[in-house]
Amino acid sequence: MDALIAAAARALATGDILGALKRVALRDDGPALALRGIAMAQLGDLARSKALLKSAARAFGPKEAVARARCSVAEAEIAFVSRELSWPLATLAAARATLEQRGDRINAIHALHLEVRRMLLLGQLDEAEQRLGAPAPAPIPPALTAAHHMIVAGIAMRRLQAAPARAALAQAHQAARQAGIGALVAEVETASAILEAPAARLIAGGKERLLRIDDVETLLASDALIIDANRNLVRSTETIIALAARPVLFALVRTLAEAWPHDVTRETLLIRAFGARHADESHRARLRVEIGRLRAALRPLANIVATKRGFALKPRRKCEVIVLAPPVEERHANVLALLADGEAWSSSALAIALGASARTVQRALEELSASGKAQSFGRGRALRWITPPLPAFPTILLLPGPLPGG
Amino acid sequence: MKTMAAEILNEYGPYPGVDNVHGVTFDGNHVWFASGDRINAIDPDSGAAVRSLDAAAYAGTAFDGQHLYQIAENRIDKIDPATGRVLASIPGPAGGGESGLAWAEGTLWVGEYQGRKIHQVDPETGKILRTIESNRFVTGVTWVDGDLWHGTWQDDKGDVRHIDPSTGEVLEVLEMPAGIGVSGLESDGAGRFFCGGGSDGKLRAIRRPERVS
Repeated sequence: MDALIAAAARALATGDILGALKRVALRDDGPALALRGIAMAQLGDLARSKALLKSAARAFGPKEAVARARCSVAEAEIAFVSRELSWPLATLAAARATLEQRGDRINAIHALHLEVRRMLLLGQLDEAEQRLGAPAPAPIPPALTAAHHMIVAGIAMRRLQAAPARAALAQAHQAARQAGIGALVAEVETASAILEAPAARLIAGGKERLLRIDDVETLLASDALIIDANRNLVRSTETIIALAARPVLFALVRTLAEAWPHDVTRETLLIRAFGARHADESHRARLRVEIGRLRAALRPLANIVATKRGFALKPRRKCEVIVLAPPVEERHANVLALLADGEAWSSSALAIALGASARTVQRALEELSASGKAQSFGRGRALRWITPPLPAFPTILLLPGPLPGG
Repeated sequence: MKTMAAEILNEYGPYPGVDNVHGVTFDGNHVWFASGDRINAIDPDSGAAVRSLDAAAYAGTAFDGQHLYQIAENRIDKIDPATGRVLASIPGPAGGGESGLAWAEGTLWVGEYQGRKIHQVDPETGKILRTIESNRFVTGVTWVDGDLWHGTWQDDKGDVRHIDPSTGEVLEVLEMPAGIGVSGLESDGAGRFFCGGGSDGKLRAIRRPERVS
């Protein structure tokens, strides 16, 4: 490899994008095109970057397998950050195999990280953890070490395990600082801020307070009867009753739980569950029916008893009743709450879970997407929706680096 | 032309903080190699890292008996190996496309990678004295016992070849194993060549064949 390519590659690896471009901006050979492509991706111009990487792969020719594999990995990363998850995984796996075989460990590890991040995005936590494995033996560059720990933190956060998430982020922070890449340090800090921010709101005995992820973890491990308004389910230790597809029942149990140990009047229940302004006889009949259904659904965990004024929740065991709500309840909070479980949802699945029409859900998703609170990927029937705060990931594309002739 | 497999005598590294081995040179005791922001000295017998100099070091490295010469982007720096201070700089003959560097006969020999050329350059002024054409991408360059050798790395294949400096004719080729390229090249003046492995972060010693007369 020649001196300018080496210097540009090094500049890219340390986050100096403009320094890299300055050195190769006017060159059209394969290595220069690849470096320009990666620099453009880091500057956010993904379309230009894709075109440059494609011409770089062409310029390399069929014999330069390693250089072409690096271009494939870079293209896969661009597809990933633009959430085009239909990008062929087999191509990425083949590129990774080539890189491993030819001794380019660093880019092979980067390719592996991409595969794992995709699994994490799709909520495949166990597979992601298994695939990631232990950190690669040293020496690997600190930027890759940081990426590894960010993935570990992401898995732990998705599992609501605060302590391991925090430990992994601390290691990521140290590695990112060692790498000296400002953007990477900032991404780790953003992820830490997400981890320390209120994750939920606890409502019990007429009082409210914000909970951090640690508190949620402790709460879930306790024997309390938890009405989880993030995922629309009722849980107590091992037993989980999902009510995501039954919004009226969930609204009723939540209202009862917020008043516990006191009872709730029929009027209040009608207003909260049906949005009825005033209660007439037909509403009362419907309430009786829904309470009956709720009673049947909750049978393993709690009973609902009739009182003079209305109804009250009675847990089977002697335990506290707690409502766990999103930190802020806002417009389309129900959609956000479902997305917050970290799975990738189709809009039709959301519509079923919310008991709403496809059109209503679509409108809500469009609004949430416009305000950056929801993201979509895929096309047509494969279109899926997620909430962004996966802990931010280092979208630092690795240089295709030491190119042939290195 | 004689072609044979390179016999690898020793492998060194990878060393901590080194992702890439560019130029390689030998000062009689230590092997020096360029790794982007450093020039590192190692003991070729034990493989131990001895010391390093902070310097822009993106391609070939050479030693004239007293100073190190180092390709840094589009210039060649003359460096005091005792202090790491840059004493002088000359422009590179290929405007950034330089790859290998050797010292011989009072002049510098600079490999131009994509141009498949070797330039002989005046070390004081940077003036090109003459140019030899090769048919492969040229990486490292070295002179030993009056013979000119250079490394190549193209299409994921690397070799070390002996060429006739007046005609460019290839006399001998030592082929590296599949997937191993040659970035820098230097002879120890005796039976070994030291080859940089580029992105694998390693340095290799290979056997120099008996001289053909």
